[in-house]
Amino acid sequence: MDAALYLLLPISLVFALGIGVAFWWAIFAGQFDDTDTAAKSILGDDDGPRLD
Amino acid sequence: MRAFSLFSPPKVLADGERKKRRHMLARLGLAWLAMMQVMMFAFPGYLRGSPSSDDASLLDQAVFLMNWCSLALTVPVVLYCAWPVWSGALGRAQRAHLGMDVPVALGIVAAFIPSAMATWSGRGEVYFDSVTMFVAFLLTARYFELCARQAIGIGGLHRHLERYRRALAARADSIAAWFTAAQLLLALGAGAFWHAADPSRAVGVVVALLVISCPCAMAMSVPTAIAAAHARVLRRPDMDVAEVDALARATSRVSRQSLYGSMAWHLLMTPLAMLGWVQPWLAAITMLLSSLAVGANSWRLYRRDCLPAGDWPADAIQGA
Repeated sequence: MDAALYLLLPISLVFALGIGVAFWWAIFAGQFDDTDTAAKSILGDDDGPRLD
Repeated sequence: MRAFSLFSPPKVLADGERKKRRHMLARLGLAWLAMMQVMMFAFPGYLRGSPSSDDASLLDQAVFLMNWCSLALTVPVVLYCAWPVWSGALGRAQRAHLGMDVPVALGIVAAFIPSAMATWSGRGEVYFDSVTMFVAFLLTARYFELCARQAIGIGGLHRHLERYRRALAARADSIAAWFTAAQLLLALGAGAFWHAADPSRAVGVVVALLVISCPCAMAMSVPTAIAAAHARVLRRPDMDVAEVDALARATSRVSRQSLYGSMAWHLLMTPLAMLGWVQPWLAAITMLLSSLAVGANSWRLYRRDCLPAGDWPADAIQGA
């Protein structure tokens, strides 16, 4: 029981740290800057008949 | 693109503002992440007081470990996430002007220092969950306010509404300053009383009072109402002056409702906290609730006779 606590608590801390770092990266890499264009690109696709 | 997107900033935002928004979002997200962990770690500490704990030494060990984990997670929250509070409080103190950052900073210090000492010595109560909740909820309110302010910056500037904004904001600021000063005095008085009557509860009472004294909801009342009014003008650019006037009157009414409503809520909670009935974490939750209520009240102004009921906003479909 003690051993499990001493093992699991640090692991959960490391996970929380990893999530925090990933979140930090995502914000400053601009992942949240434009949530619109990629989602709508399929609507702007050229749906005309293929010419070749 | 909607005028209000909570996560993606407006496209035409200047670089400095964009950076500010990113930092604010990072602080907000990290504070919530740490808060969730620390709240779980706090659970064994609340068990300790109950008589049914049959294996006291194991529980003590778990509490000791989890307090250290909470401390490890709370330090970055206090140093990084709460940074705007520290810089704001220091700037205010230099100009001898009491803003809302001063009671917030005092609340964080008053809860964090005794908790860290209790963790180090292994005895006494810790309030890390209250600290992280307080910071996370406060940043949530400020983030909404920042989004509202930055959304105003886009589109043609609406001078007519700006005139109303200045008058409203000046009045709200002076009310909030008086309110905060009174609350600080009350917190000091209640702390002195409890220190004489029951020293073990003095820290909890003072922390709860300082948390309640934070006028975040009051600070949100004018910016969110104005942002809602601007959003309505953006949605209907063909409004004539009479309509804008009516809108401005409605805005002023809504922001006054929010201001006095949140003040009444704080005044209702203060005596309960002075009696020691409000735990610090409960105070943090009531603070979040009043901020959310203010946001919802302003959102109502934007919704009213603007969107057909039960229908999607037109630009969400057309991508306007």
